[in-house]
Amino acid sequence: MAGPARYYDGITASVTEVGAKWGIGELIIYRPDDFSIVARWRLEDLVVLGDTEHEAVPLVSVAGSDARLVVVEPALRTELARVAYLAALDAPRPKAAPRVLKLGAALVVLVAAFFGLVDYGSEYAAPLVPYRLQAKVGREVRDELLAGRTLCKGTEGLKAINDLANRLARTGELGHPVGVTIVKGGPVNAFTLPGGYLVFYSELIDQAKDGEQVAGVLAHEIGHAVNEHPIKGMARQYGINLLLGLLTGGYSDLGTLGSGSSLLLALRNGRAFEREADATGIRLLEKRGLRADGMSRFFEQLMQHEPADTALSLGIWSDHPPTAERIAATKRPPTGRPAFTEQEWKALRSVCD
Amino acid sequence: MTDTSAPPPALTPSRPVYDGKLGELYGIYLRHLLLMVLTLGWSRFWGRTRLRRYLWSHFSVLGDRFEYRGRGLELFIGFVLVLLILGLWAGLVWLVWHFSIERRAVPGFGVLDVFYISVAFIGFPLAFVGQYTGLRYRLSRTRWRGIRGAQAGSAWSYGAMATALNFANAMTGQLMTPLVSVNLARPRITGAAIGTQRFEFAGRAGDIYGRYIGYYFLNIAVWIAVIGLTATAFGIGGAKLGVDQAKITEIFTKPGLTTVLIIVIAFLVVSTLFGVLILPLRCWWQAYLFRYLVARVRAGPVLFATAIGTRHMWSFMVVNYLIVVMTLGLGWPWVMHRTLRLIANELWIYGVPDGAAIRQPPDKGPNYGEGLLDMFDVSGV
Repeated sequence: MAGPARYYDGITASVTEVGAKWGIGELIIYRPDDFSIVARWRLEDLVVLGDTEHEAVPLVSVAGSDARLVVVEPALRTELARVAYLAALDAPRPKAAPRVLKLGAALVVLVAAFFGLVDYGSEYAAPLVPYRLQAKVGREVRDELLAGRTLCKGTEGLKAINDLANRLARTGELGHPVGVTIVKGGPVNAFTLPGGYLVFYSELIDQAKDGEQVAGVLAHEIGHAVNEHPIKGMARQYGINLLLGLLTGGYSDLGTLGSGSSLLLALRNGRAFEREADATGIRLLEKRGLRADGMSRFFEQLMQHEPADTALSLGIWSDHPPTAERIAATKRPPTGRPAFTEQEWKALRSVCD
Repeated sequence: MTDTSAPPPALTPSRPVYDGKLGELYGIYLRHLLLMVLTLGWSRFWGRTRLRRYLWSHFSVLGDRFEYRGRGLELFIGFVLVLLILGLWAGLVWLVWHFSIERRAVPGFGVLDVFYISVAFIGFPLAFVGQYTGLRYRLSRTRWRGIRGAQAGSAWSYGAMATALNFANAMTGQLMTPLVSVNLARPRITGAAIGTQRFEFAGRAGDIYGRYIGYYFLNIAVWIAVIGLTATAFGIGGAKLGVDQAKITEIFTKPGLTTVLIIVIAFLVVSTLFGVLILPLRCWWQAYLFRYLVARVRAGPVLFATAIGTRHMWSFMVVNYLIVVMTLGLGWPWVMHRTLRLIANELWIYGVPDGAAIRQPPDKGPNYGEGLLDMFDVSGV
């Protein structure tokens, strides 16, 4: 039995065309033209380098040697593979199409499961992050976001808004205090960070017609805090980014599209959070016997300033539900006690002076 | 005895052969992705190794296939070591922060900012060092005819030179590009070897400067034309639609559906002009540079040449990029497959090496690899 194979001696880059056959307890490598022996490899020293999945032709070698035998002819590979030591030489090559289909399907299932896990984890596990850690993250993010901005220092105004915020938080059974920071200037916005850090822009207070509108926005933000939205959102975002990073190999050029997809998911998530925060905010105000009509009136005011509903026109790209929908959902009669006293509201109006 | 390494008539031409199959490559890649998700990315060292084994083994020169003998564990150790070094660096940054900066720091500027800035600062030169050490690792794990590859030379010198040249190039408006390309190619090529057979490089920046200057100014002219055409297109389009300055300000200060539409149209117009005018020019220069560099390389009696043209370079640079981006990374195996096919089709090898004269190198190469490359550079397979 002989057939074409190539032999590399491991010392030089010479190639010798050889044949190979089994001897007693050894593999004999010989020159086919004169049957002179090139090498004799003991059976127990034989190794197959690689496998048929990755290597076009798995190489045969002996332990601790750089020499190689490349069995080019398939018939000879089959012949040599009859002996257990070289069985891997002729192992069946995995069929590409069924393998790709099977692995592709498994990947889809796994990705779906991962999304499910991120969803579950962010909803149920993220709030278990200790308050101390959440507060640390929130404080750092706040400091970073507000670096260089002027903060409003009016003691009475800050006390008024912080007192109301903490009363609402207690009503919502939030287990820790909250703190409101007011930044001078715009935009007309407010947001909540992990650990109960709330940030208001003074332009929002300036544009509010009365204390109830500010109280409505504040109750909405406390709604985010009570429902642990900031930490849930962060966990979800992190999970989705991690998955995208893994699937795309983390290549920087893909970051843009990757973050585009995760942004879409985050925004859908954002809309659900906004609806929940609206509902919770209204519930907290009503529970304390405070006027709860401020939130919808504030939205109406926003609509008057911007008749084309940005959220509606942007559709899926908006992180907020359409304003009209929010107005309808939060519409309440002007009944109940005012959230701020006259004096408190006045102090709040001049908090940045 | 038939010793095929005996030198036949000089300069016999041959081309490498790539016989990988895309389906098989995808089988390996999808398993790699599956494990990546399951292990949160920690399997990547082993996945990368499997992909290399497949690609190397299906690529042959003069009838002899390459062999990749690296191990995932080696890449893993390399990464962990760099992680540890980075940890030590973080500790050092914290000490400096705590004892000298903290009291004077502006609000909102924390120790993490100092750490990120310092890493970004050292990351740029370290990426070049990583590229060189990564090359050393890969070559030391690559075999042809059983003989290990090697990469001599100092990675730190290369890193310093690459940083300085790239900085100087940026400062001179990219006018030093030929100097950078040739001087960075030289250590990589002359340091490379198969066994004791070193590669040689005879390139000189002066040879390609004339053509580069032509390309440089043509490129500027084309950019001006593209910007002019874009502005004219929008001007005419805007005038026909009755869009004035006030309307534009309104569209962009109060975003709506129109804003999104305008951004999409602008993106399409600019990318079409960019794709039709600027990219072909760039591909033309890159193809020329590549042809030049390849033609100046030799390994003993073996010479190299390529007829790679603008069309090939377009396919390599633009189409591959689009494949990766459009498939969110799932097109990577296709890109690797296309790239190796391109090399196999377009690289010409003249002559055969004297196999008996090429011996196994004494150095076995680094024990672990690519940690720096993994940390500071985007490294594919």
